[in-house]
Amino acid sequence: MLRYILKRILQFIPVFLGVTLILFIMQNVVPGDPIKLIAGEKKMDPQTEMNIRAAHGLIVTDENGNIVFDEDGNTIATPMVDRYFNYLGNLLQGDLGTSYQKGRAVRDMIFEAYPHTVQIALVAIVIETFVGVGAGIISAIKRYSFWDILVTLTTSMLVAMPAFWLGLLLQLIFGIWLKDATGGAVALPVSGVPGPFPQFPAWSYYILPAVTLAAVSTAYTARIMRSQLVEVMNQDYIRTAKAKGLSKRSIIFHHALKNALIPVVTYIGMDFGGMLAGAILTETVFNWPGIGQMTYVAITQRDWPIVMGSVTVIVFVVMIINLIVDVSYAFLDPRIRLGNKSEK
Amino acid sequence: MANFKFSQPVMGRRTFIGGALATGAVAALAGCGGGENGGGDASGKKVMNYYLSEPAFIDPYNAQENQGTSVVFNVFDGLMEWDWDSASAVPCCAAEEPAVSEDGRVYTFKLREGMKFHNGDPVDAESFIRGWKRVASPKMETPSDICYHLAPVAGYNEFHEGGTEEFSGLKAVDELTLEVTLTDPMADFPAVCCHPGLAPVPACADEDPKAFLEKPVGNGPFMMTEPWKHNQYISLARFEDYYGDKPSLDGVYMSIQKNPDTAFNEFQAGSIDFASIPSGKIKECIDKYGESEDGFTSTPGKQCLLGTELSTYFLIPSPQDPFLADPKVRRAVSLAINRQNIVDTLYEGSRMPATSIMPTSIDDSPENVWEDCKYDPEAAAKLLDEAGYPANADGKRDIEITLNYNGDGDHGDLMSAVQLDLEAVGIKVTQETVEWATYLQQLGDKNFSLGRLGWTADYPTMDNFLYPNFFTGADNNYEEYSNPEMDAAMLAARQIQDEEERKAACRKICGTIGKDMPVIPIMFYAHNYIGSERMKSFNYDAQTKPHFETAELA
Repeated sequence: MLRYILKRILQFIPVFLGVTLILFIMQNVVPGDPIKLIAGEKKMDPQTEMNIRAAHGLIVTDENGNIVFDEDGNTIATPMVDRYFNYLGNLLQGDLGTSYQKGRAVRDMIFEAYPHTVQIALVAIVIETFVGVGAGIISAIKRYSFWDILVTLTTSMLVAMPAFWLGLLLQLIFGIWLKDATGGAVALPVSGVPGPFPQFPAWSYYILPAVTLAAVSTAYTARIMRSQLVEVMNQDYIRTAKAKGLSKRSIIFHHALKNALIPVVTYIGMDFGGMLAGAILTETVFNWPGIGQMTYVAITQRDWPIVMGSVTVIVFVVMIINLIVDVSYAFLDPRIRLGNKSEK
Repeated sequence: MANFKFSQPVMGRRTFIGGALATGAVAALAGCGGGENGGGDASGKKVMNYYLSEPAFIDPYNAQENQGTSVVFNVFDGLMEWDWDSASAVPCCAAEEPAVSEDGRVYTFKLREGMKFHNGDPVDAESFIRGWKRVASPKMETPSDICYHLAPVAGYNEFHEGGTEEFSGLKAVDELTLEVTLTDPMADFPAVCCHPGLAPVPACADEDPKAFLEKPVGNGPFMMTEPWKHNQYISLARFEDYYGDKPSLDGVYMSIQKNPDTAFNEFQAGSIDFASIPSGKIKECIDKYGESEDGFTSTPGKQCLLGTELSTYFLIPSPQDPFLADPKVRRAVSLAINRQNIVDTLYEGSRMPATSIMPTSIDDSPENVWEDCKYDPEAAAKLLDEAGYPANADGKRDIEITLNYNGDGDHGDLMSAVQLDLEAVGIKVTQETVEWATYLQQLGDKNFSLGRLGWTADYPTMDNFLYPNFFTGADNNYEEYSNPEMDAAMLAARQIQDEEERKAACRKICGTIGKDMPVIPIMFYAHNYIGSERMKSFNYDAQTKPHFETAELA
């Protein structure tokens, strides 16, 4: 097992290099000049543009930081290869560069934003796991009952509902209407994280964004759980267990559920990885200061240092999550032995 | 065969658990009543909850957009400030109007005595030089994007290019006297000094620029209580040692919102005191909250702010477009567009049809009006006939225009309305959208037919709408308009010290340029903001600056 984990960690390196290299190439392919974008609708004068390019290492400067010109008096763009190796060198020292638009260290920006993404992802994944798995189990063991139909209908609605719209709807219901209906006695915060003067208990700020983030995934989890459990319940070994006179609860929770959970765990693991990459819509609707919206805005602004930094961190985290999910299979199903020859 | 339905009587236990959960949820939510409009901190201080998008910078050296300048404007005071009543620059940190040399090149500012920064340092002439040098310096970690405001000052080019450490046009004559020498006379220079970016900074700005970037130490009526919480909030408190009139607010909590619709929900929930009105809800809000009398001041029952801003939305003909190079075609395009219909149907009448490049909030003289900035499709058809594009049997003309714009900027409906109007006079129109980054590149490369842009005043002067857009070779002159006579007139107008005479000269220039229709103005932007009822008075001016210093809460 340990060997398997080490092998997987070593595989991170080429993935890492590949992703950063692709992103670097993209910078030269995707149209739009990040420096011109800083000025927006008002055009920047050429000298200012040169100064900003020099400050970000996009054009060649001498050891004193003075801009170097070619024979024709033009600036010299720093070769992409040089910039890439500079980036890797800085990365090894924990330096992710400086944002073109904000002038801030990208590392600081990510350190600020990422904990918020992780917090909301954790709450959402707990909701997804308990509600999704729970609803799926109830739906499977009470097939064609009222509860089964309710779960099926609700999950269909949640899957069809855009997160942006669901978020605004929840804000209206729990932030505005509920407050109006109860004369301000009961309500939830509309958006944001608790500030210096929070108007609500800190935990309540997580409810609406986490529910919105978890909504679609919870629906899928419930559906996968239901179909898997229904399938497993028809297996021979379950029939044998029933013949042995085991209670239905024992059959479900000790025999059926573990096997039915493997695809569910795979899905939840992948989904958690996705959530840790940031949730652009949920973060936007709820003013959640996470990494998703930051990266999205950076892409539209061609703020490549932020894009590179965010993607680097996200790739690393997603690879770790995938590794944990793979390792968890061995615990769920003892037949799976990671790293052994039988794996082949 | 076992029955897998739970048929045993377990309802009692489940009911108990369900009941307990429901009771817990209600009890928990009951603890979530929240406060009305936040209302500030627990001590009951008067703190206004203000809506803001994430600024780019709040350090004055790079206060480049209206979010950042909203903060800088309240944390810093410059030499001059704009007085909206008299429509002129009046002294702020300056003790009196600046003395101007006979040749109009040297401005001498006497500073008030006893002014302090929030850290107790004195505000003196050196602190202005320090602040202005940061704006123009190429050595900042991210050089400023607003350095062009100082371009009229002598020695700017040498300093900005990094050739010298001295900014020769700036001189501290004594502790409280600042002398500014310009390269050429510019009578609007006091108005330039109103820009929040041209503020004084204490020595700590140079000593620890990273800390200053996050928590600038200013000399204005409000001070930052803690470093900027990015994407969350900026918290301001009243500066008790402020030299001017003390604000009635104890502080301002600037809630950073990413989505205007969410901000409006927060406003409706009573969490913030100020928000923008989402599109399509202006009339509904006016009915519910009332409309401000002057368009800029919110008072209880008159809370919707709809005043005209200092911004113009216009179409830019490419200098390389074979059809639009002809002024007659440009004039025809302008005459064919029904601006009133656009503002009525798309903006609920909250914006104003443009009558020229010059917003009426800058100067409402009829002399500024461009004759062809009106809806007259018959005149448009006649001009197209004269330009050599007669209508064919099917009503179409052999003229084709592409509307180029950024598809990520909510311009689609407006452009579609323009397309319909142009097609109505026989012009074949197509649309081409790209995202903002690519669009700017297209503009720079002149790779467009009929594009779009907006121009927002840096300072409320007429020159600021003329020179940057129409002077030959000016940075924003994407249409490459060039009229040597007008260039000379613009330079001459800059030298006229008498304000009324200068305005008269600018009106003449504006009207004359309009005859060539170098750009096609569509509308003047307007506020679409709303204040809460608990604000007894709050002014949000035409330049989108919030005046917390005069705001009052109930």
